[in-house]
Amino acid sequence: MRAAAQQGDAPAPLWHHNATNTTATHEEAIMAMKRMAIEIGMGTDIRGADYTKAAVRALRDALWHNSLSVANALGIPTDSMVCEVLIGVPKPDLVDKAAVLAVLPHGTGTVTVVEGGLEIANDAGTGSTVIANAGVIVRLDVA
Amino acid sequence: MALKRVILEMGTGNDLHGSDYTKAALRAVQDALHHSSLAFVRSLGLDSSKMQVEVTIGVQQPDKVDRAAVKASLPRGQVTVKVVKGGLDIPDEGAHDAAVIASAAVAVRYDLP
Repeated sequence: MRAAAQQGDAPAPLWHHNATNTTATHEEAIMAMKRMAIEIGMGTDIRGADYTKAAVRALRDALWHNSLSVANALGIPTDSMVCEVLIGVPKPDLVDKAAVLAVLPHGTGTVTVVEGGLEIANDAGTGSTVIANAGVIVRLDVA
Repeated sequence: MALKRVILEMGTGNDLHGSDYTKAALRAVQDALHHSSLAFVRSLGLDSSKMQVEVTIGVQQPDKVDRAAVKASLPRGQVTVKVVKGGLDIPDEGAHDAAVIASAAVAVRYDLP
C-alpha cells in the first residue's frame, strides 16, 4: 500500500521518500520512530467531484486545527517530523498525491490513498459531492 | 524541568437555536479535542494526570458560559478554563433566536526536561 503511494508524481519539495530511496530498512526506521500525534480532518468538493481538492482540504482541516509544538518542546527540529498522511476517498486513483503532500508545512512525509470517504450523487444524477477523510500520523525520532 | 506547550488544539462550535453559550462552548471544545489524538503521552511514557490543560473559550457574552461544565468536559489532566469575549453572534431578524458561535483553544503543557 505504501509502495503504491510513492510511485510516479512530480516530486514536491517535501517528498523525501521517493521510489528510489525508500528501502525496507528506511521504512522500518520510520516505523521505529515514535508517534507524537494523530491529526484528523475532513474535506469536501461540493460540485466538482475533484478528489484531490477534497483530499487537500481534508488534510488542511486535519493540520490547521492543531498547532504542534511537541518537537520544539523536546528540543528537536520541526523539520525532523515525519508525517504519514492517510486519505480516504471513493476513487483513490484520482488523487494527485504530490498535491496532497505539498500541503505539509514542515518535515517530510508520505501519502497513502485508500478507498473510503463518501460520495453522494445529486438528485438530478448530473454530478456528486465528494467527502475525503484525512488522518496524519506524526512521528519523531526520540530515544 | 519547565512547563512546555506540546500542542494547541483549536475548534469551533455553535448553538443555532437557543443562544446557549455553554452548549456552543462545549461543542467547540469537543471539536478541538477530536481533531487530534495525543499519541506522545503513551509514546513518551508520560503521566496524563500531570498534563496541564488550559482551555480558552471565546464567545460574545463570556459571563453566560458555565465554566464548571466546560471544565468537566475535558477527559484528562489538570484543567483550567478561561472565557473571553470572542466567537461570533449571528443575529436573527426580528425574533430573539440568534445563532451563537464559540471558539475554543486547548493548550496542553507538560513539565519536560
